[in-house]
Amino acid sequence: MPEDHDWEAYKVPPTRTPVSERTTSVPNPVDYFQSAFNYVLDTPVTFIRDWIERWQNRNKFYYYHQKFRRVPDLSQCLEGDYLCYYEAEAQWRRDRMVDQEIVEIVRERMAACKQREGPNQFQNCAKEMELLAQVTKAYQDRYGDLGFHGNARTCLMKQKHRMMEERKAAQENQCP
Amino acid sequence: MAAMSRVLRAAAAWAARRAGSAGTAGITGTTGITGIGPRLPGTLVPVRHSGDHGKRMFIIKATSFYDSRFLSLLRYYLFLTGIPVAVLLTYINIFIGEAELAEIPEGYVPEHWEYYKHPITRWIARYVLDSPEKNYEKDMALLDVEVRKSELRLLELEARRLMRHRGDGPWYHYETPDKNLVDNSMKATPDN
Repeated sequence: MPEDHDWEAYKVPPTRTPVSERTTSVPNPVDYFQSAFNYVLDTPVTFIRDWIERWQNRNKFYYYHQKFRRVPDLSQCLEGDYLCYYEAEAQWRRDRMVDQEIVEIVRERMAACKQREGPNQFQNCAKEMELLAQVTKAYQDRYGDLGFHGNARTCLMKQKHRMMEERKAAQENQCP
Repeated sequence: MAAMSRVLRAAAAWAARRAGSAGTAGITGTTGITGIGPRLPGTLVPVRHSGDHGKRMFIIKATSFYDSRFLSLLRYYLFLTGIPVAVLLTYINIFIGEAELAEIPEGYVPEHWEYYKHPITRWIARYVLDSPEKNYEKDMALLDVEVRKSELRLLELEARRLMRHRGDGPWYHYETPDKNLVDNSMKATPDN
């Protein structure tokens, strides 16, 4: 079955619809529609789903999220140590996938906030907007523009260039 | 005049009836069933075997034999494996179900197939594919062999270069003829 969204990521605030006082004797047609939906669709589907769940609960089995050990980084490998290169490359790829998922989650939070707030989004979602801007900028700094064939080595070179630029800028700021 | 035409029409009808019956009597012989037989065109005939559906028509249309044969064969071959696969998938998804996410218990190292959710993926990871750790180690072993090979090749190239240059190694020995075999007699005269 497809996964539900993570309900814990954002708790929807409770609705503030007021309780309506009955002023007419005409019954609310929405009640009839609701009970029809209940009897025709909701109850059978829930019954079947519960039956399936009871059957599947007899022999449950679990799956886990794999935890990988940290290995020496590419910058800590000796030159010519191709085994170290391979392990560092694998670790870099895993880290890049994790970072992609992080960006995805932050973007989903932003979208959820926009959907909730509607016309108030520019005021009320400022925190999410800020977070998304920071996260995407960080991702772009680290992994952007490496291209399809980007690997740990190209990423390290990009970091080296970034540090050189920073150092040059710091020096220029120091002695103008 | 009208009476004359009516008499003539009655005579014609009587003659046709007689011709029809005579024809049947002449051909069939004993059976002479009246009423059947080739009628003249233009005469009315009651509709037979209708059952209130209307007159039976022979509708002329293009053949659908090849099309229906193709479709029936298509259905046959698709369902031949499609239905068992569908039944199997339904059974697995309903009665076995997917795994649930759980925290790794203390001191327990899960097997490599226990990191997948769907039971078919777990089965494939367990019985068909190698574990990712084994794959990793295989790749590392391959890399190791290639690294050693490349190191040895570089060393060999370096040794060859040095031996060729210095000439004091076991390689690069060329067979030269014995110096005692050289005929130096023409070196005795200076003007040659």
